[in-house]
Amino acid sequence: MSCELVDRHLDSYVDRELDLESAKAVGEHLKVCVVCRRRVAERESLGRLVQSAPYYPAPDRLRAQVAASAGHVKTRRRLFAWAAAAVVVLAVGGGLSLLQSDRGSDTALIDEVIDGHVRSLMADHLFDVQSTDQHTVKPWFLGKLDFSPPVNDLASIGYPLVGGRLEYLGGHPAAALVYERRRHTINVFVSPEREGAADPATATSVRGFHVHHWVHGGMSYWAVSDLNDTELIEFVRALQAA
Amino acid sequence: MMAGNASGDRHDTARRFREAALPHLDDVYTLARYLLREPADAEDAVQECYLRALRHFDTFRGPEMKPWLFAILRNICRGEFVRRSRAALTIDGETQEDADAVPLWQEPALSPEAQILHQRDANTVRRLVAALPEPYREAIVLREINELSYREIADVVGVPVGTVMSRLARARDRLQAVLALSPLGTLR
Repeated sequence: MSCELVDRHLDSYVDRELDLESAKAVGEHLKVCVVCRRRVAERESLGRLVQSAPYYPAPDRLRAQVAASAGHVKTRRRLFAWAAAAVVVLAVGGGLSLLQSDRGSDTALIDEVIDGHVRSLMADHLFDVQSTDQHTVKPWFLGKLDFSPPVNDLASIGYPLVGGRLEYLGGHPAAALVYERRRHTINVFVSPEREGAADPATATSVRGFHVHHWVHGGMSYWAVSDLNDTELIEFVRALQAA
Repeated sequence: MMAGNASGDRHDTARRFREAALPHLDDVYTLARYLLREPADAEDAVQECYLRALRHFDTFRGPEMKPWLFAILRNICRGEFVRRSRAALTIDGETQEDADAVPLWQEPALSPEAQILHQRDANTVRRLVAALPEPYREAIVLREINELSYREIADVVGVPVGTVMSRLARARDRLQAVLALSPLGTLR
């Protein structure tokens, strides 16, 4: 047996795609040829190296959209989004423990906030008004709400405002302001503060979504996103300071 | 044809499709990320892939769902996305490689230890793979990352098994050559 055999079959041998007989012949040759042994070893190392290249789990939002477009409509698709989100949390690991520990009396409202966020991503109803201009978005709410939500663009620090829409939160109308960070969407729900409606400062993580609540200038704010929490906190601080 | 039955069938088809196809979403998305360099394009391509797959699900005869989805995705990536993505597939892979080649060995000097770590960094591998001409890149990703057999790769790409083999060999030769050129690119 000669090195030509390995020339011809190196990759199919390494990939275990070679027929038994040829594989045996290659194996025999490798016993006596240090050069070919080295070539095989290099190929195997390369294989391990390439297999360490990144694997990309589908983003939550894509999963929800694909599930929705594949017939998961109306009542069922919402359920599926929750299931998908839960799976993501499980995959990330440990996320579910937050479900129990961090949730207080605001649970129902937090659920509504996340629900509103997921619905906006899935139903392709992110915007009633789509604009990166805060001077377009703010007047749009006039006449649709009995309050005027503060609207600030944070594009200068990498969180551009992309639009707004009407939402209902706790049975009351709220302004939903939509921001983007890379491919992640941040929903901010703004409504007048109501006595005892929610803890003034709440931060929690549920099913892979991070939620922050604060009260400022008589307004109640909820920020929700699947963006990582570090960046979401940066965003919240910038919005509080705006 | 009665509307009620048609709607029921459609519902049933959609359910079977979801059960068969959704578990492969991560694999399909990963392939898209390697075929198209912009994540946004990859997302769009995957969405379109699942739409088409559902539409043609009744023509799916198996045996494996994953290669079938890959083949659809690949057609999409070669079609409309070729115009949209600068990184899209080109027939003339050689030219593309010249433009996209990543000269690893020209990176700022690091300490030997750091270089080893850097060398093994997953993103470095990604860039090496991304710099391959398209037919090689596709073959190596389908093999090493999506873990398809030669036969399955041949079906997805629409070439004979022998072509798959030679593309894999060339892809690996090139990767080894680039690694050998980098300062501490010796494989162990």
